Amino acid sequence: MSSSHDTHAAHDAATSHGAHAEKKSMRLMLHVWRQRDPSAEGKFVTYKLDDVSPDMSFLEMLDVLNERLIAGGDEAIAFDHDCREGICGACSLTINGQPHGFESETTTCQIHMRRFEDGQTIYIEPFRANAFPVVKDLVVDRGAFDRIIAAGGFITARAGSAPDANALPVPQVAADAAMDAAACIGCGACVAACKNASAMLFVSAKVSHLALLPQGQAERNSRVLAMVEQMDKEGFGNCTNESECEAACPKGISVSNIARLNREYLRALASSD
Amino acid sequence: MSVTGLLLIGFLVVHLAGNLQLFSDDTGEHFNAYAEKLKSFGPLLYVAEFGLIALFVAHLALGLRVTFENRAARSQRYALDRDRGARSFASSTMVVTGVIVLVFVIVHLLDFRLREMAPDGLAAMVVRRLSEPAGALIYIVGVGALGIHLSHAFRSAMQTLGLNNTRYDVPIARAGKALAIVLGVGFAIFPLVYFSGAKGSTHSASVRAAEPGATEDVYFLGKGGASLRGFEFRGVGAIEPSHLDDVGDPRSIGREEQR
Ligand code: HEM
Ligand code: SF4
Ligand code: FES
Repeated sequence: MSSSHDTHAAHDAATSHGAHAEKKSMRLMLHVWRQRDPSAEGKFVTYKLDDVSPDMSFLEMLDVLNERLIAGGDEAIAFDHDCREGICGACSLTINGQPHGFESETTTCQIHMRRFEDGQTIYIEPFRANAFPVVKDLVVDRGAFDRIIAAGGFITARAGSAPDANALPVPQVAADAAMDAAACIGCGACVAACKNASAMLFVSAKVSHLALLPQGQAERNSRVLAMVEQMDKEGFGNCTNESECEAACPKGISVSNIARLNREYLRALASSD
Repeated sequence: MSVTGLLLIGFLVVHLAGNLQLFSDDTGEHFNAYAEKLKSFGPLLYVAEFGLIALFVAHLALGLRVTFENRAARSQRYALDRDRGARSFASSTMVVTGVIVLVFVIVHLLDFRLREMAPDGLAAMVVRRLSEPAGALIYIVGVGALGIHLSHAFRSAMQTLGLNNTRYDVPIARAGKALAIVLGVGFAIFPLVYFSGAKGSTHSASVRAAEPGATEDVYFLGKGGASLRGFEFRGVGAIEPSHLDDVGDPRSIGREEQR
């Protein structure tokens, strides 16, 4: 601790490590992918940002950068975001080569700048997969996921009005497993992290959360077949079981769902309906 | 992919068991008898061999297709590409180890299947080949690559077939590693033993197999003859533990902490 802060020293010592003693601003060297439109050639543009607060979220840091760019007459960097609380899955960014950054089970919007070093160089790229074409700068089109959901997404049988909750018994184990699978926010980090750009983790989460519940039994077979067919059409790669998706997933979706998806698929192929 | 791979693993288990006959006596007679027995199946043997080749080619074709499709799924690469350490050395080199195995299998078939049978029997041919430095190297590299391939392959196949789940994942992954070590090290033992000269009295079988007075013929079988003499001189030695390290646990690569 430097002696010029003597007056605060006693106070800091009293409040343990003095983490809040001094909010030093951070300097960053950012290399950001800029691409005008889907067909344009993109490139990295370097920005130096000098007074980043460690308490900012990653997206707030980009907001600050954009304000400067706009003030200077430049075009703001396009990036996707919505809830900023880790539940919508919009904030698709690759930070230093890792989708949603290096923190485990954390979305980009939930990362704070204090997790970076002062003076650090940060590469910010869009998710890269042919099935997720770049729209502009850091924004990619994840419509492929929507089309997969649409392919298997609703039940054509008349469901009537909502039944009494207790009329439909769901075993706790199934409820837990279904809930874990349903935690998927459709962010696409699994595709971005997979060296094959495979969408198996996402599709397996969606197929699993319905297949595990009694409500999902109707059209269970046709659903998995249609979703897998759509997934293949979209140009995702094939799963080679390397589990990078699981490690990158901000919601901790397990690759055991992929085994279940394969099981459901084989089961559906073997069945007659 | 998974089905063909698992069937090939099944073959390898039987193949390793058959090879162990080489160690069951000092003369190589058991092994030669086993080979004769296989031959006596006649057309059935051809059917089995054809089936094996079909499996191999199918696996190869599927493996290459998957690899090319996967490369094509991301034409614009990341400028900075960092994984999270879930991948293993084995899982990221499947096509490389696979192609090494392919080349090795071709050499292997040329060595022992498509070559004319030596008068002193198959066991002697095998011992000669594996005692040569080049032979030993090819076989160790070939089965080493196979071991690495299999250390990812078994669990991967279980996932692909939907036979895995959270409860069995760890045991299945371990069983896959164990299988890779048993097959990798199991096959590597033959070149290690014969090259180091730790065992090699199959020589006596060669001599006995040859016609009386024709002992010299044994030494005229091309390179094999020379190395047969060579390995005689080497005498008994222990297997260096350092040789065995070659086929050790291939995981643990690429784990790096980033901050
Ligand atoms: C011609 C040589 C070979 C080539 C080119 C090859 C290639 C491949 C490739 C590219 C994969 C898929 C990669 C992945 O899923 O990560 C694979 C998987 C596999 N290979 Fe091979 N391989 C060869 C030989 C073998 C042999 C001899 C065996 C058996 C002993 C074998 C067993 C397996 C198994 C079990 C899998 C996992 C299948 C799955 O994940 O669905 N391979 N191989
Ligand atoms: S499985 Fe995980 S990484 Fe993939 S889309 Fe769902 S939340 Fe995102
Ligand atoms: S903005 Fe919604 S999860 Fe990040």
